[in-house]
Formats: sequence, structure tokens, C-alpha cells
Amino acid sequence: MTALERAIARPDPVHDFAARSPLHGLERRSVGFADVLAQSVAAVAPTAAATTVILLVAGAAGGATVLAVALATLLALLVGWTVNQFARRLAASGSLYTYAARGLGPAAGLATAAAIVVGYAFISVFALLGGAHYLSLLLTRIVPGVPAPVLSVAALAGEAAVLAVVLVRGIRLSARVALVVEAVSVALVVTLLVVLLVHIGPLQPAALWPTGPGGLSVSALAAGAVLALTAFVGFESSATLGVEARAPLRNIPRAIVWTVLVAGSLYLLAAYTQVAGFAAVGRDLVASEAPIDELSSVFGLGGWAAAADVGIAASFLACALASTTALTRVLFALGRDGVGPALLGRTHARHRTPIGAVAVAVPVIVAVPLALVAGGIRPWDAMEAVIVISAVGYIVAYAIVCVAAPVFLRRIGETTARAAVVAIAAAVAIAACLAVYLVVEAQLGNPGVVISLTLAVAAGALIAWRLRRGAPSLDGVGGYDEPVAAQVLGGVARGDG
Amino acid sequence: MSDTAPSLTARQPRAIHSALTVLEAVAALGPGTTAREISDALGMPRATAYRLLNLLVQDEFLVRTPDLSGFALGAKVVHLAAAAAPVHVPRAAHAVLSRVRGQVRGGIHLIMYVEGRVVIADVDPDFPLSDPVRLTREPEHYALGRLLLLEREGLDTVAREELERYGVVRRETAASGCLAAPIRDDDGALAGALAYSGPPRRIADPTEVAAVLVATAAELGPLLT
Repeated sequence: MTALERAIARPDPVHDFAARSPLHGLERRSVGFADVLAQSVAAVAPTAAATTVILLVAGAAGGATVLAVALATLLALLVGWTVNQFARRLAASGSLYTYAARGLGPAAGLATAAAIVVGYAFISVFALLGGAHYLSLLLTRIVPGVPAPVLSVAALAGEAAVLAVVLVRGIRLSARVALVVEAVSVALVVTLLVVLLVHIGPLQPAALWPTGPGGLSVSALAAGAVLALTAFVGFESSATLGVEARAPLRNIPRAIVWTVLVAGSLYLLAAYTQVAGFAAVGRDLVASEAPIDELSSVFGLGGWAAAADVGIAASFLACALASTTALTRVLFALGRDGVGPALLGRTHARHRTPIGAVAVAVPVIVAVPLALVAGGIRPWDAMEAVIVISAVGYIVAYAIVCVAAPVFLRRIGETTARAAVVAIAAAVAIAACLAVYLVVEAQLGNPGVVISLTLAVAAGALIAWRLRRGAPSLDGVGGYDEPVAAQVLGGVARGDG
Repeated sequence: MSDTAPSLTARQPRAIHSALTVLEAVAALGPGTTAREISDALGMPRATAYRLLNLLVQDEFLVRTPDLSGFALGAKVVHLAAAAAPVHVPRAAHAVLSRVRGQVRGGIHLIMYVEGRVVIADVDPDFPLSDPVRLTREPEHYALGRLLLLEREGLDTVAREELERYGVVRRETAASGCLAAPIRDDDGALAGALAYSGPPRRIADPTEVAAVLVATAAELGPLLT
């Protein structure tokens, strides 16, 4: 009889596990791979980014646009692989916050929590504003003559209602909405891009590699790559579904890598189409306001562009849903860990959603864009600052997690040379990106830079105060969805004797 | 890209052999053993051992200890043994099942709880289970599993109310649903369950089917325990 057969026949009692997870109360193991993937893809909102961010990249990188997008994809993959060192080993709803805390302790955990909460919250605001912008454009055609701010407020109110209902009703509904919307909008935009490519004609090598005078400029490439990287943020957000995903240790890492690959392919396709398309018709891409629309009308595909606009509006709404979903899961984890008020850790008895976090987060997420629009600011103008604040939050969180990964692997005795090299390379690259990004946006005079630095100082002060106070205890920081005694052969719940 | 059980390809027998070797090592070294100890004990390259350990944890054949640095055998390893030893259903019990299947519209399934696990003992041949693997892996999504969890943890107040009111536990989805009535041994301990799967209408108002299930479960108890 082997040791395994003996263990199965007569299991020894194992007392290391609790009867239930510290993150009990959510709808456990209820969404499959497709929905988990949709969560990440929706948070990235690749269709919206493919049509807007590429233009910004072109402004910075010029002839090296496609190259910059490729570089950003590679960097996002490095970060994704490093995040997966954690996602393969523990299921959590606090995602990057929990990971950083597991590697570097409470201070780094709280810093990451602050950064990623800013990232998720501001991207939600950004997406609501984006959705309102496109929805009010549609509404103008249906009910002409109504003032623009009224339409924007109406669109925001509609979005807020959808957001509240879906978040309260549960993860299966919100994941499914995200899946359908993303599938349709990606299909729409890919179809449009492919049709455009057919019109543009054979491959143009000049669009792939900068030729012209001066050749490849490293600083332009770096600035372009950093801007392109902001189009990937959110790819890790499926890690917030650690409790709710089926087979999370398998499905979440897979979803993270696939999201980067899906978004990267779409961006490369969009970048090449726009660069080659504008070259083919002899226009200046950087001077364009809506390049895909412009190309479509040049090639007589105006109707397609309108369809893509509907896709983009829906994609913004899915992005708001997915980002708020991620935000509420992180807040929920903070509540359960004893960092935030216990209210944040409450769950809905029937819908099994983090109702406390939803009740706190959704009103704030909705009030900010409403106040901005009601204050007479056009959604599109506010979005430029909001996206910078969000991107800074994400990039800071990625940087801390990349530093935390090798420490974590060492702590659990599972260091490998490859994982360490990837993590350190990702950490260095992402820190450099943050510096370049702040400089680029500061030069453009974006108010988001000052706001994000102010937020960073405020968060730093808050964390220092919380660490000094020390009470209630911070021992719970980094709590994750631990296996329960029932999942362990011979498992006897802790405290049951 | 599915999240159901992974399928095998021709190249994998070696990997399965290695995986079983790792499970053997964890069983021999005892709960809490670390990745490094396992790779040393097996003389296996570190990176290979870490990858196999992570795969086995993903499929819950192993679990990590709460500090994440150690490993213990998962309750699921029992499936490795259970697959070879199905539950025996006596002929008298078969006769009862056939009779009820003739009376009720929908599937009637018999399952037994063996050491806290759901073991499928007899599936209705006319209404096969949609996903037997998921039933054993994620019992909480089925009335059968909710009944077991209620018995074990007692946390599910909705299930308890249903059990008191109808004598069965329900689980409803959009397209169908299931009911489960407990089968108890002489001491009143939960030994198995008789399940019904059918249209949502009969789950929403389970009175009629529940009465049949409860009576049959009482009849099956002495035959099976």
C-alpha cells in the first residue's frame, strides 16, 4: 500500500484550516472562464482605447507608433506574468492589494490598495463620462434641441441606474453583460478595421518601422510606449474575482494573459490601420480628431463608423461596470481585513454581492461625473484629466506588485530564476514608465498630474497615520480565500478540536 | 479554454505519472511540507516541481496551507480511489427507484454521501445528469450539495426553511431545477439523498413532487444503510 492509498483510506486529521473562508458571503465559484475573461477585457475597454489612445500614441511616437504599441504589449505581458505568480497561488478579492501585502507587508499593501482604488475609481468615472459623451451624441439625433448638459446628465443618470442594479444583482449578471457587450463591440471594431485594411491595400513596411529623417527616436518611442501602456490598464482586474470565479487559480491567470493578448492584437491592428490608412490617403494622422471615423468616411464606410460608435458607447458602460465591480471587491477585502470600516465587508444575504462596498462606492462614482457635468464641464474635457489620475494609480500598483513578487516567492520558498528576472525587469520598466508618463503629461499641462500627486501625498499621510495608530490590528491585512477544512483530506476545522 | 475538467492529450501520460509521484510525496511527507522539500525528496528539478504543484493546487488535488508555503492533500484525492469503487445499490432499492421513475415526470437520481463527498450511485437513464463532474466538484450548485452543506455547517437558512416546510431542499436555475430529499440511517445521520430534476414550474411549487420524494427516501433508508 502506497503512502497516498494509506492517506486516502485512513486520513490523518489536519488542523491547519478554518471552517470557512475569511471572504465568505460572496457567490463562490459561480463564474466560468469566459466571464472571468470578460471582466478583464471589459475593464480594459479595448475598443474604446483602440480608437482613442492610438491617436495619442501617434502624437508622441510619430513613425514609431506600431513599434511603441508592440513594446507596450510586451511590457503588459511582463507585468501580467508577474501578477500571475500570485494569481496562480492564491485566490483573493483584493487582487493587487492582497498580493503586495503578502509579499511586502502591511505598509506596501495599503499603498497598493490606495493606488488601485484610485485606479479603479477614476477609470469608472472616466468610463461613465465616456459613455455619457457617446450616449448624448446619440440622444441629440433622437431628441434634437435639448441643451447638451441636460442630455449628459440624463445619460449619466441612466448609466448610474444600470450600474447600481447590475452590481447589486450579482456577479453572474454583471459578468454576462460585460461578456456580451465586449464580444459585440470587439467584433464590430475588428470588422471595421479589416474592411479598412482591405481598402488600404498591400502591407506598407514604412508604417511598421520609422524611416524618414532621424530614423528611430528613443525618447519618442518611450513616450509612445508609455501612452500605449495606459491602454492596457485593468487587464489584471479579473484577479478581483478570486472568490467568485470557478477554478480561480487556473482561470484567472489565463484570463490575465489572454486579455493582454486580445487587447495587444487589437491595438496593433488599429495602430497599423490608422498609420497606413492616413499615409495611403496622404493625410496627417496626428491632426485628426477621430481617425477611425475620418478613414471610414474617406473610404465610404460612414455607416460602419456610426455602428462602431454604438459599440464604443456600450464598451464604456461595460468598462464602468467591470471597473466598479473590481473596485467593490477591493473595498470588500479592505473591510474584511480590518483596514477599512466593517461596513465595507458586508455581503447581501440573497444576491451574495459585497453590498456594503457597493453602497459606499457607487454613489461616489456616480456623483463625481454628475457634479462635473452639472458644473458645466464637458465630459470629454474632464476625461483627459481623469484618465491620467487613474493610469498613475494603476501603474504605481503594478510597480509595487512587481517588486513584491520576488520577495513573495522567496518567502514561500518557490523562487525561480526566470520568475525573478521577469519580475525585476517588469518593475524597472514600469517605474521608468511612471516617470516618463508624469513628465509627458506635465508637459502637456494636464491637471491630472497635480491631482494624482496630491492624492499620493494624501494617501501617504493617511497610511502613515493608520500604521502609527496600529489599532484596530493590521494583522488581517492580506487575507485571502483560504482553502477550508472541507477541501482538505482529513481536514478538521481549526477550533473544532 | 473551458473551465471543466482538463482533457488529456497523447503527450501527457508522463506528466500524469509525475503528478502522481508528487501526490505520493505529499502523502509521505505529511501536511505542511514545502515545495523545496518535495522537489528534494523526488530529486525533481525545482521549476518542474513548482509547476506540477501549482497545477495540482489548481485542480484541488492539493491545497496550500494558509501561510501559502506548505502543501496538504486535497479532499479531492479521494476521487482517485472512489473512481474505482462505485457505490453498490441493492436490487430492492433499484426496484423502488424504477417504480418512482414511472410515477414522476423528470429525472430521479440516487446519490450517497461517502465521507463528506457526493457519490453518484444511480442516475435516471432517461434524464442523465447534465454535468456529473461538476456535481461532485461543486456540489453547492445543486440541491444535493446544499443539503449536504446544510447538514455539515448549518449556515444555509433558506435551505433549512425549505427542508422544514417541504422535506426537501431546492435549487433553481433559469431553465431547470432540482429538489433533494435526505435519506437517513437508523441514527438519523445523513447517508444519501434522492434527487429530482425537472422544469422550474415543479421546483417553484414543489409540494407534489416533494411528497413523493420524502416517502421514497424513507423507504430507501433501510435498504441502503
